[in-house]
Amino acid sequence: MASSQLDAGDGLSRLRSALPFSGRDWGLLLVIPGVVLFSSFMLYPIVYLFYISLTDATFAGSVIGGGAELIGLENYVQLLGDPQFWSSMSTTWLFVAVSLVVKVFVAVGIALLLNHARVVGKRYMRAAVIVPLGFPGIFTITVWRGMFSDARFGVFNTLLGRYNDVMSSLSAPQVLLFDVPIGFLSGRWEAFFAYVTTEVWLAYPFMVIIIVSALQDVPKSLHEAAMVDGAGWLQRFRTVTLPAIKGPVLFASILTAATSFQQFLIPWVFNQGGPARKNELIIVYGYREAISFNEFGLSAAILIVAIAFVGLFMLVAVRYGGLAEGVGEE
Amino acid sequence: MSVLRSFAALVAAKLVAFATAPKRFVVTVQRAIYDLRTGKRTPWDVSKSVLMTLFGFAMVLVLLFPLFWIFTASLAEGTRLFTTSGIFPDPSTYNLGAYRWVVFESDFFFVDGDWGYPQLVLGGSGGLVSFRWAGTETGPGAVFNSLYIVSVTLAAGFGMIVPAAYAFSRRKFVGRKRILYGYVLFTQIGAGLSIATLVALYSLFSSYGLTNNLFVLGLFYAASAIPFNTWLLKTYMDNIPVSYEEAAMVDGASFLDTIREVILPLTKPGLAVVLIFVWLAGWNEFIIAQTLLRPENYPLSVELYNIATEGRFSTPWTRFAAFANLFALPVAIVYFAAQRSVEDGLSFGGMEG
Repeated sequence: MASSQLDAGDGLSRLRSALPFSGRDWGLLLVIPGVVLFSSFMLYPIVYLFYISLTDATFAGSVIGGGAELIGLENYVQLLGDPQFWSSMSTTWLFVAVSLVVKVFVAVGIALLLNHARVVGKRYMRAAVIVPLGFPGIFTITVWRGMFSDARFGVFNTLLGRYNDVMSSLSAPQVLLFDVPIGFLSGRWEAFFAYVTTEVWLAYPFMVIIIVSALQDVPKSLHEAAMVDGAGWLQRFRTVTLPAIKGPVLFASILTAATSFQQFLIPWVFNQGGPARKNELIIVYGYREAISFNEFGLSAAILIVAIAFVGLFMLVAVRYGGLAEGVGEE
Repeated sequence: MSVLRSFAALVAAKLVAFATAPKRFVVTVQRAIYDLRTGKRTPWDVSKSVLMTLFGFAMVLVLLFPLFWIFTASLAEGTRLFTTSGIFPDPSTYNLGAYRWVVFESDFFFVDGDWGYPQLVLGGSGGLVSFRWAGTETGPGAVFNSLYIVSVTLAAGFGMIVPAAYAFSRRKFVGRKRILYGYVLFTQIGAGLSIATLVALYSLFSSYGLTNNLFVLGLFYAASAIPFNTWLLKTYMDNIPVSYEEAAMVDGASFLDTIREVILPLTKPGLAVVLIFVWLAGWNEFIIAQTLLRPENYPLSVELYNIATEGRFSTPWTRFAAFANLFALPVAIVYFAAQRSVEDGLSFGGMEG
């Protein structure tokens, strides 16, 4: 037994000395398969996408068959002059910003409430509240489309109708009433509102999990000490709670903001970025140019710009948000 | 098998905890009443607690409203959903017709719901006694395609994520920092990126003849899950003190022993989260699948999308709901059982404070 192990050890050391890197680098071997797989399915397509963006390809066949010609940066120039591009870009940024702000408030509120000493059964409520994370996006998003239905008897329109009935029975002023049915999917800002609501609902569980676990790490004695010192709820929130959750909230914000920027399913399932292409988020815009208008070259350019934006955002976030804290330690 | 058994035990423990929750609730209420009577707590103090709890409960109801709505919708086959009668279908009309449609008419289990029957074939070509599924002239349905994709994704994903996370957490090697940095950059670009590169992917897959190939698609999903999950597992492993391994080494444990006896057991919550996320990566995605596959290979997600968009403004809600509920059920069960691990595993160690 012992000798065979020794032999194997000899073989290994001979193998090691034959390798171009030092023996302690064998950890690299464990990492390489993942890097190769990731590169071949993710990085290589990006490079290829960039190549397509430099051609005048009009449909998939022209890319594969080699019927497309290199035209340099023409697609990008055309893009800069396309009002749809600017409209799409600004809508996307607005979508990211608005949904992020709402998300943070909603998630912090939920986390604080479901971690509050006075709430009985908060563990069960927490278990229930993060359930949306476990459901397929295509499922939940389609359900939300149904709830936001334009129809007079759609879920939200019915709810608003009931609200109107109650309010008018209280003889409330006309200003507080809604003009039902609201075309949630056919109006520009109504649709935008529907997108944001859905996006917040999809992303809050992730944030709640992270914030709750940060809150639970705050020692109780800190709160008690602050209470003894006569600090009110707001003051305790500012001095004890906020410092504890600041890091996790920033972290979760960065991650969800980057996902929001690439949101595709919500606009696509709701109304394909409508009405009249007004709510096309950037990925939807690129996808539509390729699928509906057979502008593969232009579409590739749009998507490259989108990827560049996300990459830049992540680069800044990683550098200044301390996302890669564990990376540097050696 | 032991994995299955411990999983079953976990689910059972969860169910017991949920079943006994009302009793604990009653005890809490009784104690509050006792405290009130003996003057340990003031009425104002108790009513504050009651109000906060009611508030929390109301919030949970509001947040889960869409799921509740779609569940009741799945029970209302044959009725019109959007009518004057209200938001929820009339409970007296509840029936399982939609689920019957999913099982026996849709392509969920077998194409056109044609289940056929198992048949023993004696002296067939596949050995002396072979077992054959007979009577389904149309072939297996979407669930088998989904399961196939997910198995490939899980096998490839775990095979690459776990060793890499270990190496990142415990070993030094050339390029470690750079690769990890790259992974962190790409953490959030997984799913969105694949749609962004769809145009290129389609061309590439076509030119290599890889379209309509479930195996390659499974690999693709694994690739998209690698950066985030490797990073997640690495941060989780970072929280395991190195001294544990050193102690084991001093006691004569070999390198492999430390992995089997120290690292893997202590990483269980992290592994559970990675399992769920990698599973979801393969189970849920549908745009790439729809673009690259032909109808006979469609997984459940694509079938679900097709039901949802059958008519632009007339989703058959009851059937959609039943199909979606059955589609989401396995994930929901795993998620429910591993909820504690998900919370632990997602805490991102060093990110707190």
